[in-house]
Amino acid sequence: MLQFVLSGVAIGSIYGLIGMALAISFYVTRIINFAQGELMMVTVMVTAELASSGYPVWLAALAGLACSCIVGILSYVIAVRPILLSNRFSFGWLVSTLGFAVIVENAAAYIWGPTSQAFPPILNGISLPIGGAVLTAQQLLAIVTAAVLAAGFEIVRRYTLFGKLGMATAADPEMASAIGANTTIVAIVAFAISAIYAGIAGLLIGPSTFANPYLGDTFGTYGFIAMMIGGGTERPIAAMFGGLLLGVCAEGANALINSQASDWFPFIVLVLILIVSPKGLFSTSNPLFRPRRVAVTRG
Amino acid sequence: MAPAFDTQSGTAAPRLRIGRWRAAGLAAVLIAYLAATAYVAHTDLGLQSLVLVAAVFGILAISLDLVAGMLGLYSLGQGGFFGIGAYATTILANDYGWNAFGLLALVLAATGLIGMAVGAMSLRVSGLYFAITTFIFTLVLTVLATDMVTVTGGLQGLLGPAFPDFPASLEWLGTPLVWCIMLALLACLGLVWNIRHSPLYPILLSIRDAEPFAEAAGARTAAIKVGVFGVSAAMAGGAGWLFSFLGVVSPSQFDWSVSLNVLVMVLIGGINTSIGPVVGAMFVSMFPNVVNINPWLQEIVYGALSILAITLLPDGVVGIARRALARRAGGIAPAAEAASAEAMPTAPATAASPASPTDSEVIVECRGIEFGYGLGPKVLRNVDLAVRRGHIHGLIGPNGSGKSTLANVISGRLTPHAGEVLLKGTRVDGMPASSRSRLGLRRTFQAAQLVKELTPTQNVMVGLFDRVPRIVGRAPLWPMLASGRRDLAAMQRRASEALSLVGAGDWTARQVADVPHGIEQLTQLASVCVAGPDIIVLDEPATGLSAKEVRHLAAILANLKTQGVTMIIIEHQTRFLFPLCDRVTVLNAGEVILTGSADEVRADPVVRQVYLGE
Repeated sequence: MLQFVLSGVAIGSIYGLIGMALAISFYVTRIINFAQGELMMVTVMVTAELASSGYPVWLAALAGLACSCIVGILSYVIAVRPILLSNRFSFGWLVSTLGFAVIVENAAAYIWGPTSQAFPPILNGISLPIGGAVLTAQQLLAIVTAAVLAAGFEIVRRYTLFGKLGMATAADPEMASAIGANTTIVAIVAFAISAIYAGIAGLLIGPSTFANPYLGDTFGTYGFIAMMIGGGTERPIAAMFGGLLLGVCAEGANALINSQASDWFPFIVLVLILIVSPKGLFSTSNPLFRPRRVAVTRG
Repeated sequence: MAPAFDTQSGTAAPRLRIGRWRAAGLAAVLIAYLAATAYVAHTDLGLQSLVLVAAVFGILAISLDLVAGMLGLYSLGQGGFFGIGAYATTILANDYGWNAFGLLALVLAATGLIGMAVGAMSLRVSGLYFAITTFIFTLVLTVLATDMVTVTGGLQGLLGPAFPDFPASLEWLGTPLVWCIMLALLACLGLVWNIRHSPLYPILLSIRDAEPFAEAAGARTAAIKVGVFGVSAAMAGGAGWLFSFLGVVSPSQFDWSVSLNVLVMVLIGGINTSIGPVVGAMFVSMFPNVVNINPWLQEIVYGALSILAITLLPDGVVGIARRALARRAGGIAPAAEAASAEAMPTAPATAASPASPTDSEVIVECRGIEFGYGLGPKVLRNVDLAVRRGHIHGLIGPNGSGKSTLANVISGRLTPHAGEVLLKGTRVDGMPASSRSRLGLRRTFQAAQLVKELTPTQNVMVGLFDRVPRIVGRAPLWPMLASGRRDLAAMQRRASEALSLVGAGDWTARQVADVPHGIEQLTQLASVCVAGPDIIVLDEPATGLSAKEVRHLAAILANLKTQGVTMIIIEHQTRFLFPLCDRVTVLNAGEVILTGSADEVRADPVVRQVYLGE
């Protein structure tokens, strides 16, 4: 019991980070970046490549994050900005971000080949017994990092000017630029941050998945589910809650149903949640538990 | 009390000649299509499978365009319906030996019903969330197909059934599957083409762009959306039925990336065009066979091309071609350029007869209406309003006093929390807006709700929705039905007459996107008048009009009144409003503070203080 909850939280924080990455870029531009999973893959591949050619792991990891940051900004400049400029409400981005994902994924497969490569273990070798369960230090690192990043983003969003600019840009880019916000810079920074979140998720999971060019597909999908379960389209931090729930569900299904159950059980949970609350569990439209709002004026 | 239209005949003969040319052209295209099909039916297997896969995806792309292009519902569930069709056919034909054509009927019915269920559930959310919900539908189906190994064969997939052969007398036609798929594609193209040339088309677009307008015109928008989505799902299911005969059926052929690829096809070819989706489908599905290089490089090129296509050609190939053609044709000459907006002919009878009955029956009545948005404060508090038949009833009050909310409660956009709304003595506060339209109530909107890419005439035709029987049912065959052609001509004539009657007759051929604000307002008014309603609710009709346009509007409204139409007018310009009104109600902070004649209201000290500012 404790074991699957803990390992569920560990893998869930990875899903949550990717979900948050999706939600952060959505937050500012109202588009879902289908290339988000590929940004995580870029970090993993570059880090693995540099580490195996003898650079220290921390340097390789930094370089990996920098690369995904660049690719993330490119995805905005190439696949998102032109679409939003011509028509803010069109769905062209579905096509262009997917096209960008296809390019990145296949470029990686072309460069590194389709097979998995070694990834530095980081903290994966250390086991920590907790109660009756065992976590690797890497899993613990994942949980702590995810908590810090989620809380950090929420603080920035609520209490800094940049966070408010993000909200303004999302709600009405024309108005935001009319009051002097450079919406392009805001969006680029958001995409860079979201790429870093996805990249960090990659560094945290890399030691157990190894480096594979097709990682982005799987984790991108799980990140997307995390965002939808949680309602990350309204508040990015909800994607983290969704990720944790998803992780615990998947690990729980594996432990309690059978070893394949994590392939389908999370989807059932997702469908049930969306039937009840179409915009996610922690969204304001959830009929079950609505977040408290100003109800002072009533009566 | 339909306004009397003066019948105008005119351009009948040339139109007939154009019609004949068009029919000849259509026949030529049809014969060429059948000849090409015959050629493919006799050619080698390689080319056949290339063409057939493209055609199946063409059907899928048409099915998506039907909902995405005409209703703005970007469904990513097409891959899922496609998969249901293919798996159901394969499993039932292989394991249970069901007849292929019996299965077609089953697949169409089943996917249609599933589509309606998914649609009904997803329509609780709109726009992006609709895309996401349908995306998840496909995702879940792919997971099921992968994991239910005993039924579906897992990732390996299943070998599809064989297509039944022609009877011996028809064997000279060649491969039967080719004929079946190509005729199916033709049928789908025909279906969409017919809808696009029926009066349902402007209604679908108005549901897409201006849903309140469509509702106010009597269209049950939710039902239409669910129904069209069901048709689209059945079409995708039928494509799956066809696809199962082409070889192996496996989960990767139906996953979410297929749904997105279908969207790529539609967007590249040209969304909301008749043949654009098929052009896009040909490009996307044939691309890997034409560009034969390293598979990864090929994918990279494909990704780059789809980005380029979507950024450089946002209207798709067909959209670009159409624009180029229009430019070559010299553009439809903007004939009455500057003349129209200002110098609108004040055609309709200008004499406002003040001799309206003062004690006629009450036709619209509100009793004790309470309303508030969400948890916020009440916007309407215990509002009573009684409007007599044939009266013009003004509704004034400061901004935020609840005027538009009251109009929405009367017309059915909003349901009051408490109180009753009666129309001609019938209680209507539980009815949707579309049913109130059938009782003879129409309304206009403060910000004109129109379809920008259609002409004013087409927009006015939306107003005739519930005046012409069985538009939805006849739409799939519309241009082929004599009654359809006759009704369409009549609708067009009535719409352009209504437009000339309000003085916007010079603008019938332009897109609404290109007409000035005043013409938009008049188009809105025409779309209401064309249906001959008894009661019209006008929400700030004079907003943004020039002084001259306001005078013209006053003349039109006075004329409508002489025809016995009851009107409720919300307006800030009291100089325009008061001379028209029999009664005026003043709202302030959600409460009625006074109802009386214009003079009484003007003289009231409280009204002067809160509103007139004197």
